[in-house]
Amino acid sequence: MHRIARSIVISAMILAAAPFHASAADLVVSAAASLSNAFAEIGKAYEVKHPGDKIVLNFAASDVLLKQIEQGAPADVFASADEATMDRAAQSNLVDTLTRKDFAGNTLVLIVGLSAKSPNSLNDLSAADYPHIAIGNPDSVPAGRYAKEALTSADGWEKLQSQIVPTQNVRQALDYVARDEAQAGFVYATDAQTQKDKVRVAMTVPTSTQVRYPIAVTRASKQVDLAKGFVDYVESADGRAILSRYGFSAP
Amino acid sequence: MMLSEAIVPLLLTLKVATLATVFASIVGIAVAKFLGRRRTFARDVVESLLTLPLVLPPTVLGYYLLVVLGHNGFFGAWLMRDFGISLIFTWQGAVIAAAVAAFPLTLRAARAAFSDVDAQLENAARTLGASESEVFFRVTFPLAWRGVLAGALLAFARAMGEFGATLMVAGSLPGRTQTLSLAIYDAVMAGDDARANALVIVSLVTAVVVLLIAARLLQRTQRMTLT
Amino acid sequence: MTRIAVAIDKRIRADRREFQLSIQFESDADVTVMYGPSGAGKTLTLQAIAGLLRPDSGHIALNERTLFDSAKSIDVPARKRDIGFVFQEYALFPHLTVLQNVAFGRRRGWWNRNAIDEEVRAIVARMHLERFGDAFPLELSGGQQQRVALARALACKPHLLLLDEPFSALDTELRGQLRTELIQAARDAAIPMLVITHDSDDVAAFGGKLVNVENGRVIPPNIGATHFQTT
Repeated sequence: MHRIARSIVISAMILAAAPFHASAADLVVSAAASLSNAFAEIGKAYEVKHPGDKIVLNFAASDVLLKQIEQGAPADVFASADEATMDRAAQSNLVDTLTRKDFAGNTLVLIVGLSAKSPNSLNDLSAADYPHIAIGNPDSVPAGRYAKEALTSADGWEKLQSQIVPTQNVRQALDYVARDEAQAGFVYATDAQTQKDKVRVAMTVPTSTQVRYPIAVTRASKQVDLAKGFVDYVESADGRAILSRYGFSAP
Repeated sequence: MMLSEAIVPLLLTLKVATLATVFASIVGIAVAKFLGRRRTFARDVVESLLTLPLVLPPTVLGYYLLVVLGHNGFFGAWLMRDFGISLIFTWQGAVIAAAVAAFPLTLRAARAAFSDVDAQLENAARTLGASESEVFFRVTFPLAWRGVLAGALLAFARAMGEFGATLMVAGSLPGRTQTLSLAIYDAVMAGDDARANALVIVSLVTAVVVLLIAARLLQRTQRMTLT
Repeated sequence: MTRIAVAIDKRIRADRREFQLSIQFESDADVTVMYGPSGAGKTLTLQAIAGLLRPDSGHIALNERTLFDSAKSIDVPARKRDIGFVFQEYALFPHLTVLQNVAFGRRRGWWNRNAIDEEVRAIVARMHLERFGDAFPLELSGGQQQRVALARALACKPHLLLLDEPFSALDTELRGQLRTELIQAARDAAIPMLVITHDSDDVAAFGGKLVNVENGRVIPPNIGATHFQTT
C-alpha cells in the first residue's frame, strides 16, 4: 500500500515538474482571451501556408499572459487587448518594442441576456433589473479596465459595486450573461458576436482610450524570425480579412 | 497589506469549508451506508461515478455545477421557481461547489471505515434486538468514526483549497464569495505580490492549525479508548 | 411440544465452490448439541435459526412460533426472534465496557447511554464479573470474555440460547471448568440451549439431545454414534 502510494506521489511530482516544452518549429502565441476565435483561425491559416510550423495558442486575460511571460513562460509572440499591458511589458523589457504594432481595434459594448430589459444608458443599470453585472476584473482584465473607466466617468462605478461580478477574463463575463446568471455584462463587440443567439448588444460603451490590440515579439523568443513572420502574417491582408470577419476593426 | 484585509476572506473560507465538510460528511456517510459492505460490480460502478468530482478538473466540475445549479439548469431553475433561491454568485453556492469537490473523500473514507467493522459485531447487535439504525449508531459508527473523521479532515483541506469549481459557481466577489484561494489568485493576477504572499501565509497558518487540532483530537480519543 | 423445529435448505456459493445446506431436526430438550466436523454447516444453521442468514426454502419454528416459512413468506427479523447468540469469537463490542455490553440489548435508541439497571448488575454478578464492570473487553481473559458474551445474551431474556463452538477459542485446561460453569449458568437462567461443537468431549459433557451434522446434512444417530465412538 505504501509502495503504491509512494510511486503515485513520485510520478505525480515528475508530471508536475515536467516543463512545458515546445519543439523547435512550435511557435507559442500568447493572446488576449477576446482574440480566441480569430487567432485560432489565423493560426490554422498560417500553418497551411507554412507547413511544418506549428502555432501553439495560449489564451487568457492580458495581465495573466504578461504575468506568465514575466515568470519565464516560453511565449514567442504576445498579443494584448490594451496598450497599457503592452506598455508594462515594454517597460519590463519583456518584448522587442521595434516589433510592436497595433493590428486591430475593437469596441466595448454593454450586453444583456435575451430576457433582460434593454438599458438606454449606463445609468439604467438598476439593481432590481440587473442584480448581477459581469465585468472582467479591472485589476487584471483590460476589458474590465475599459468598463470601469466608462462607468466611473458616468458616475456609476461606486453605485454598482454590489451588483458587479468580477470575472477572470472577458469571455467568462460573456459566458455568465449567455447563461443568464448575470443580466448584463461588459465585453468587446467581437465577443458579443460569438454568442449572438444568447446575448444582445444593448449599447456601445464610449471609452476615453480607444480599444486597440498591440502585438510584439518577446525578448525571450529563441525563434525571432519565425515569430516576426507570424506577426507579419497577422498584419497581412489574409490576417486582416480573418480579423474583420470576427468583427475586429482596423487599428 | 493590513491583516484586517485577510480576515474577511479567512472567515469566509472557514465558514464555507466547515459547512462544505459537514454536508460532504453527512452525504458521504449516508451513501457509504447505503452502498453497504458487500462489494458488487454495480455498487463499485456507483462508487466510481460518485468519485468523479475528485478526478474531473475543478473547472470542468464547476462548469457542470453551473449548468445544473444555474438559472437554466434543472435544479437551479426549480430552486428559483419554487423557492426564489439562486445559488450562483453566493457563498452558499461556494459551499455546494466545495462540498461536491470534497464529497468523494468522505464517501471513500466512510465506506472503507464501515467495512473495517467486524460484521459479526453488527450481527451480535441484531440478535440483541437492535434495529438497523440502532446497529449503525451504536455499533458501526462508534467503531468507524476515526476513519470517517480522517476522511472529513481531508475533505476540509480540499474544501479550503477549492478553487476552480468555486470560481465558476460563486464567482470571486470580494467580501462575498472571495475565499482565500480566490483572493490569492486575484492578487497574483493583479500583480500584487505582497498581498498574495500575506494571504498565502494566512492560509498556510490556518491549515496547519486546523490539522494540528485535528491530530490532537484523534490522538486523545485514541488514548481514551485504549486504556 | 416441540421446542425447536428446523427444516431448511440453502445453497451457498463462494469462490466458485458450492455448498448445499439441507438440515432437518426437531428437539424439545433443554440442551441440544449439534455435533460435526468443521465445515459441516453447523454455524450456517445457527445463523439461519437466529435470522442472520436467510434460507432458500424451509421452515423454522421456536415454541410453536414460526420464525421462518418460505411458503408463507414469513421471515421474522433477527431482532424480533428472542434468540440469544453467543458467537464463537464472542463478538463483544470493543468500544463498550462490560456493563455497557451486557446492557446493550435492554435499551432501545441510537445512543449507548451509561445507565445500568439493577438486573444487569445482578447478571454481571452471577457471572462473577462485578470486578470488571467498567473494563473493556480487550482487557479481559478469554474465559471472562465468554462470560460477558453469555451475560449479554441472557440479559435479553431469550427463549433460546445459541452457542457457536463455545470453547474452541479457549485452551484445554479452561474448557472443563468453563463447560461446567456455562451449563450451570444456562440452567439457572432456565433457558434452553442449542450448542454446536466439533469436540466430542463437549458432546459427552452437555448430554441432552444430539444432532449429527456432516457435509450440510443431518445424519442418523446410529451412524453418528459410531462415528462419535471412533473419534
